[in-house]
Amino acid sequence: MTFRFARRAGRLGLRSLCAFVFVGALCAQQSVSYSASHRGKNEFVIKNATILTVTHGRIENGSLYVKNGKIVAYGATVSAPSTADVIDAEGKYVTPGIIDPHSHMALDGDVNEATSPVVPQMLMKDAFDYNDKAIYRALAGGVTSSLLLHGSADMIGGQAVVIKNKYGLDRDQMLFFGAPISIKFASGENPKRVFGDRKQMPSTRMGNFAVMREAFTQAKDYEHQWDEYNDKVKRGDKSATRPKKDLKLEALVDVLHGKMLVQIHCYRADEFLTEIAMANEFGYKIRAFHHALEAYKVPEALAQNNIAIATFADWWGYKYEAWDAIPWNAVMAMRAGVRVAIKSDSDDYMRRLNQEAAKTMRYGGATEEEAMTMITLNPAWIIGIEDKTGSIDIGKDADLVLWDGYPLSSYGVPHKVWIDGDLYFDRSLPGLGMPNFQEGQ
Amino acid sequence: MHRTALRLLLIALLVVSAGVAQQKTPARKTATAPALDPHKPIVITGGKLLTITHGTIENGTLVIENGKITAVGSASSVTAPAGAQVIDAKGMTVYPGLIDSESHLGLTEISAERNTNDLVEPSDEIMPQMQVADAFHAESALIPVARFNGITNAIVAPDSRDTLPGQDAFIQLAGADASQMLLSRGVAMPLNFTGQQRRNESFATAQYPQTRMGMAAQLRQAFTDAQGYVVKWQEYEKKKANAKPGDNLPNAPQHDLKLAALIPYLDGKKPVIIKAEEPNDVETAYALAQEFKLKVILNGLTHSQAIYDKIAKWNVPVIVGSIYDDPKPWQRYDTVYKMPGELSKLGVKIAFASFDAHQVRNLPYAAGFAVAFGLPYDEALKALTLYPAQIWGVDDQLGSLDVGKVANVVMANGDPLDVTTVVERLLIQGRDIPLVNRQTELRDRYTNR
Repeated sequence: MTFRFARRAGRLGLRSLCAFVFVGALCAQQSVSYSASHRGKNEFVIKNATILTVTHGRIENGSLYVKNGKIVAYGATVSAPSTADVIDAEGKYVTPGIIDPHSHMALDGDVNEATSPVVPQMLMKDAFDYNDKAIYRALAGGVTSSLLLHGSADMIGGQAVVIKNKYGLDRDQMLFFGAPISIKFASGENPKRVFGDRKQMPSTRMGNFAVMREAFTQAKDYEHQWDEYNDKVKRGDKSATRPKKDLKLEALVDVLHGKMLVQIHCYRADEFLTEIAMANEFGYKIRAFHHALEAYKVPEALAQNNIAIATFADWWGYKYEAWDAIPWNAVMAMRAGVRVAIKSDSDDYMRRLNQEAAKTMRYGGATEEEAMTMITLNPAWIIGIEDKTGSIDIGKDADLVLWDGYPLSSYGVPHKVWIDGDLYFDRSLPGLGMPNFQEGQ
Repeated sequence: MHRTALRLLLIALLVVSAGVAQQKTPARKTATAPALDPHKPIVITGGKLLTITHGTIENGTLVIENGKITAVGSASSVTAPAGAQVIDAKGMTVYPGLIDSESHLGLTEISAERNTNDLVEPSDEIMPQMQVADAFHAESALIPVARFNGITNAIVAPDSRDTLPGQDAFIQLAGADASQMLLSRGVAMPLNFTGQQRRNESFATAQYPQTRMGMAAQLRQAFTDAQGYVVKWQEYEKKKANAKPGDNLPNAPQHDLKLAALIPYLDGKKPVIIKAEEPNDVETAYALAQEFKLKVILNGLTHSQAIYDKIAKWNVPVIVGSIYDDPKPWQRYDTVYKMPGELSKLGVKIAFASFDAHQVRNLPYAAGFAVAFGLPYDEALKALTLYPAQIWGVDDQLGSLDVGKVANVVMANGDPLDVTTVVERLLIQGRDIPLVNRQTELRDRYTNR
């Protein structure tokens, strides 16, 4: 397996607004009107399917009713108007759309702004290449949402972009409306190698953490300067000098105020503990450790702090900090109470995350529902979109996959994929298998 | 980093890893029974036997003596020899050990740590005298991980950065030391022609060969030189043999290991493995091999859909993939996934490979995935067993559950190609191989901490 650190992507959102105003926590992404020509008949019933709901077990011969982009009903039977389209899914499976909480696709290689170890002002949406065919291939693998993260060259990387994989639509139409902002941190070998090779700090793990501590200390000073300034203005002090706006420090202040979900690339058990101590020192929360190959060594510390992991099913040995990786990691961490997601970090593996999840059944005996949760609801929680997608529940977005073959096997292949109730992929169609998109469009 | 500092770091790493090795907890007994005595007969009863050559036997019996299969058939038709040790395989699927047709096992430990890698000698493109067998690290932690999912044999190949990076070895994934694991050195020679072997970063820094014509010219020269080398030695031997008493004896030509290494390939005694992806590269490399009458195995072909028909007519075996390679941007998502099925339907003999070291264990899943995209199930199984045994010239020994073959036998709780299947027991050469590795040891240490 090739050594990878190079790829990490970004996030989108109303950043232009968020960056200048401390808009409330978890600044929403921009809403867009969405061309009617791209929408299918947005009312249909899937019948005779084996439904893996993720939250309510498995329903044999089940039905599911979708209207206006939402799941309206599901169960052994549903009542729907006779005008609704009917899809007979006999012998097929229905699951929620897969969610990939760690992707670097669609960034045209611009994954790491590795010119400084602290670059929280980078917005991955600024590099988002919505025409990248990788999005189509993720879609064809049943992935309906992806978190495009900055890379791991920097201790504090940029802000991610959350997308729905509606390949063929315009850039703004692919942004996940209402998703919170995530920021990427890293640790360990990558930052110390990238900067150490240039004879800069950090070149060690103590350097790594010193850089972070310095950055957050600056951010606190910066906030204090603004507080003092605002205070003076309030008191009518005409001599008050307005501090310079610094987008980098603004972003870090947002982190300190819990306005961003902190996603940390981190491999080693000792580093989880150091990262947790750092977060406690400065008062922010960690949403998830990514890669997290040694979570099985200290799962209690993660569980107690409500920190999820986004891990590989079985990658190991590609670098020294991946040498203690074991394929039982996901299940051992889960059994200790950690919220576990399986992620791709790869334009290859993102096309078959269902098989990666199935490996947790082989290594450690995860149940069907537990394995499915690791690629749907848990990654949705990591991204902060679990109230909108990630399971088959009434009122959630109709992000759905109809599978040929059992999804948690070598043979599961997406047959149809809907996002917000619209059909974006259909394996039975010729060409790319996209009902509303042809090559050259 | 200063050299001294680097050296200190490396020493520190070695000390750390040695410390880790010493902390090993006693291996957990994963086998269902005490290890069997390989010197006594072994009988596997009650399992579903996937024989590969003569179908599936429900409730079958397999007898193993002295490391070989001595009987196979239905439970009612096979009698266990006296004193046999019995493995109850009820509920299990029993099949021959799987063969990986391209791995880098024993040549790497940690990809990013240079001192743990012996993957390729990149100083020149033409390095046929390199034998991966000379670098093969039998005690690699990766090998027990690979066999954990039933892989018992593999081709070990150098990295494909050179056009002729050296010669492959065929290994068995168990044995007391390298001599037992290396079943044959120099079994075949990769001939890589993907374009990635060019050295054409820029005009300022380019080295020969900068282009595909450079790659081909360099290869052509190498094989031509080897032909000349053969002639030179033949002439010498002839002169020496014809010399009469009193004649001056001819001077012996100098030995050239590089050219000598090519002779068995020019003689067609051993195959070259042409790795190419695009139709133009496949055809150029194949034509070059024809020019020198080389025996050919094809490898890759990930973007050669347009010439599948032509390839089928060449009547050569194909190592498929990786099927996980991305299709071209304009292609349908499943274009490469479908390759094994499409080639198989044209009558091409295919074999699967991991093209990896750490993830050799995932080899069967690629075959399963290819089934989901049109490869008949039985062909998928053969492409992991019988076909590679034939391609690597060991089908008298390996690749099926047949009398007389080496007892590399996998017992699993289900379909060998499925990602959720657990290998329960493994025999290699009739020896009970504990399903223990560095990863199970870490699992057990932290489960019981």
